Amino acid sequence: MRTRTSIIFGLLVIIIALPIALRRQTATTTANKADDTLVILSPHNESIRQEFGEAFAAHWKKNSGRSLYIDWRTPGGTSEIRMVLDASFKAADETRRNGIGVDLFFGGGEPDFASQAKKGRLLPLSVFGSHPEWFANDGVIPETFTGERYYPTDHVWVGTCMSQFGICYSPDVLKRLQIPRPKTWNDLGDPRYAGAIALADPTKSGSVARAFELLVQSEMQQNLMKSNTDRAEAMGAGWEAGLQLIQRMAANARYFTDSASKIPQDIGQGNAAAGMCIDFYGRSFADELKSTSGESRVVWIAPVGGTTLSGDPIAVLKGAPHEAIAQAFVEFCLSIEAQTLWFGKPGTPKGPKARALHRTPIRRDTYTAENLANSTMPLADPYHDPANFTYQRELTGASFNTLRQLVKIMCIDSHDELKSAWDAIRKAGMPPDALAVFTDVSRVSYNKAGKGDPVLDGPDALKAADRATELGEWFRANYRKAEAIARAKSQSATHP
Amino acid sequence: MKRGTAITISLIVGILFAVFFIYPAGMIVKQAFEGVRADGSRTFTLDFVATVFRNPIYQEGLWNAFLVGIGSTLATLAIAFPLALIGHRYDFFAKPALGVLVLAPMILPPFVGAVGVKQMLGVNGAFNSLLIDLGMMSSMHPYDWLANGRFTGMVLMNALHLYPILYMNIAAALANLDPAMEQAAENLGCPPWKRFFRITLPLAMPGVFAGASIVFIWAFTELGVPLVFDFARIAPVQIFDGLKGLDKNPIPYALTAILLVVAAGVFALSKLVMGRSPLGTAPRPKGRSSALRIGGWKSAGCSLFFLTVFLIAAIPHLGVLLLSVTGRWYGTVLPDELTLRHYHEALGNSLVVPSIQNSLMYAGCATLLALVIGLCVAWVVVRSDLKSRGLLDSVVMLPLAVPGLVMAFGYLALSQEGKAFHFLVGADGSPFLLIVVAYAFRRMPYIVRSAVAGLQQSNPTLEEAAKSLGATSFRTLRRVSIPLIGANLAAGSILAFAFAMLEVSDSLILAQQAQHYPITKAIYTLLSTLGNGTELAAALGVWAMVFLSVAIMGAAILGGKRGGLFKV
Repeated sequence: MRTRTSIIFGLLVIIIALPIALRRQTATTTANKADDTLVILSPHNESIRQEFGEAFAAHWKKNSGRSLYIDWRTPGGTSEIRMVLDASFKAADETRRNGIGVDLFFGGGEPDFASQAKKGRLLPLSVFGSHPEWFANDGVIPETFTGERYYPTDHVWVGTCMSQFGICYSPDVLKRLQIPRPKTWNDLGDPRYAGAIALADPTKSGSVARAFELLVQSEMQQNLMKSNTDRAEAMGAGWEAGLQLIQRMAANARYFTDSASKIPQDIGQGNAAAGMCIDFYGRSFADELKSTSGESRVVWIAPVGGTTLSGDPIAVLKGAPHEAIAQAFVEFCLSIEAQTLWFGKPGTPKGPKARALHRTPIRRDTYTAENLANSTMPLADPYHDPANFTYQRELTGASFNTLRQLVKIMCIDSHDELKSAWDAIRKAGMPPDALAVFTDVSRVSYNKAGKGDPVLDGPDALKAADRATELGEWFRANYRKAEAIARAKSQSATHP
Repeated sequence: MKRGTAITISLIVGILFAVFFIYPAGMIVKQAFEGVRADGSRTFTLDFVATVFRNPIYQEGLWNAFLVGIGSTLATLAIAFPLALIGHRYDFFAKPALGVLVLAPMILPPFVGAVGVKQMLGVNGAFNSLLIDLGMMSSMHPYDWLANGRFTGMVLMNALHLYPILYMNIAAALANLDPAMEQAAENLGCPPWKRFFRITLPLAMPGVFAGASIVFIWAFTELGVPLVFDFARIAPVQIFDGLKGLDKNPIPYALTAILLVVAAGVFALSKLVMGRSPLGTAPRPKGRSSALRIGGWKSAGCSLFFLTVFLIAAIPHLGVLLLSVTGRWYGTVLPDELTLRHYHEALGNSLVVPSIQNSLMYAGCATLLALVIGLCVAWVVVRSDLKSRGLLDSVVMLPLAVPGLVMAFGYLALSQEGKAFHFLVGADGSPFLLIVVAYAFRRMPYIVRSAVAGLQQSNPTLEEAAKSLGATSFRTLRRVSIPLIGANLAAGSILAFAFAMLEVSDSLILAQQAQHYPITKAIYTLLSTLGNGTELAAALGVWAMVFLSVAIMGAAILGGKRGGLFKV
């Protein structure tokens, strides 16, 4: 017994000693020794936090002579951050405090920041006063690009880099399934992808919801470009085609996820053929999963004519306890020194220290020949890419919330019926009558929902829930009906 | 037990539960019952609950959760009972090691467990690669194990993850059995099967119920396993999706409320049916039943059974382990390249050492707190005649059924400056007390169930005898009662400690500053490293698994000596 106890005790000591022996100390992780502190709430990944944290601490030390500890608050993704902000500001309002003890909100999508700005939780940024030339008409940071806003008129947030939703695919799985490599969103609706698509969940992230909106809008813009078409008619048909494309993609989908890394991970492992993926995760996995021959297990592309370059913002929160340092951090993020961190090769003079971040800088003047040569994206030239697509807010902006709800109702909540019907339709050889029922979106046409559904998007949660139930039942009834038609066709084909 | 003492304990425990569980959870769940009048004022309403029942998707979600709960409980029982019974009856080859190994499945680290499963069972996973190598599957048409037969898959995965809970509780119950009962039946010519159903099973029923009730509530509200199988039409996933959704719809809170009522209802009902041994409490056995030493093929058969259960249950763990040493692993049975660099990088991260210290402190103190309160609750439930004791017992089980995010945000809202729980936050923003309280109340059901089962089996006359000989209540508790249920308390405490060490939601939300992170948040942080984040998280996850395995082994040795839970 004593021997056994000693062995166990000895093992425990070794196990605990191992991390102590391997421990590395970094500059920004010792709170007590620092002269200053900065509290940042962020969904950014550990690599970005580490690179920007260390770079700004060094910058701060150089300029002020004071050491800095960055207290990163990372409760999860943008969903959790939104919940933390809501809970904290609610408590602050109730106890009449000005702020929540956090200085900065760093990273997310434009919708997340616009929503916080609407609630009056963001402070004006001083960088607009200290560097007006950056934001001038021909400045290095445009107010809008590809229809996406990079800072609002009241200057309470600003984009620090750009992100783009695109398609990530596995060349191996595509080869096995004998499907050509996808180039547009439309390709992901190909029935040969059944069970092999991975989709992001638009109900939990404003950026993903925007990606789905762009998908619909891309169909609308294509229709509008056709000559000899009535504008209203073209918009209606485009909206319908967009919703039907979402239906087909969802029918091919294995899941909808709010985890940014799950999709490229599954694709890299060959568990899915293709999916919707944000650019830097796609590029990062493509880089990590390169074989010795140089071919990667993951390829990321920007679908032709279907994705914009959105800003990834930063903002100073109301009541920030260290406002001056927070404002300095914002200014630092927009400096060339920080901008090159986004896409520099690790170890190069202006690049990150440990890892490539694979992100697109927002300042136009970062894309110099020298910087590009030392970057992980030597061919990047986002401001002059002819394939860029421009978001037209007037087409679908009013239905942003409704569209997200529609995807939930017709695809996520009804996924079982959708997949089952799609399976039957595929097996029956895609009979047009079954497809017509399957893709019927007449109850949510552009006329009815294109400017936002007043009930689904309305203030009465109960009525919205009832409307969702009613619409959901209608879609599921259609899917069941389409499945029955397709099965009948299959049966009559086998037993004529 | 004196009525006055019982009332006092019940009141104290009731108040603690009201303050630290019902208040924070209620703060969030109350949104399910809040309607808004035209003038903006709030009113009580059941409309949202009714809406849930009107929507066939939510009905199906609840029904699926219930079926998964029942199916998983039965499957868990089918694995755990034979294991516990064989372990109790026979001495076979490598029994001490195998007895501890079969407990391993409960310590799967969070976040990377799902990736581990996919590495093993995915389309391009190790299992399919093995079948392709053996010529049993075409490489052009690999089978998608996780997309087909998802219900059975979920039940099996739950059972293989949760059987240690039931195994430990049944093992504790069997350790308390009086061998004289079985021997008497045997002497009177009762055949083995009849003896099992008429004597052993009824006597072990408190242990079965203790474990099964936890397994049911766990499986009924399980989120991770349905997410591995991408199964979204099940209430816990619907709640999770709703909570994280951009819409401020109270439906997820209404679903949570329904889930809580169903969990409490099923618990109370099953307690009526099977909670108490129909044979009553037996006097404490004078000697322990000695396990029968077996050899030859019988011994090999028992060892093989234990080993098989362990190996199947450890598939996800093996996936995580291989992932942590993988340089490249794609479409092959084993990784093509092995490396230790992920360990070097992960364990060397400056977050890790403080997170280990924090986790040990949080989980250790939470287990102690849960042990003290849990023992008091069990005492009132078993030894008093208070009418409200059944209610107390059911309420104590509810923390198991509340979604992690709901509790975490309840605590977060109440711990803000100027709010009721702000006193739990330390001067430097330390969430130590907050997390200890949150962990303790969430993990308390393990201790309560184990202690209740132990007390039901031990005979109160022994305590009465001690008291009649002049022992104080505290001395009786310390010298008689606690030693009698030592095995049960060890089982409950091990479960509470291990699950507290691996807790996710409270850890992510309440530990805000890096110096206060527990291990789970350190794993989460490593996971978000670009490039090899998953491998880094797996490496720290494996460290946590190994640490917990050794710690459990230590506890098993102590438990084995004190309570006869593990014959190590």
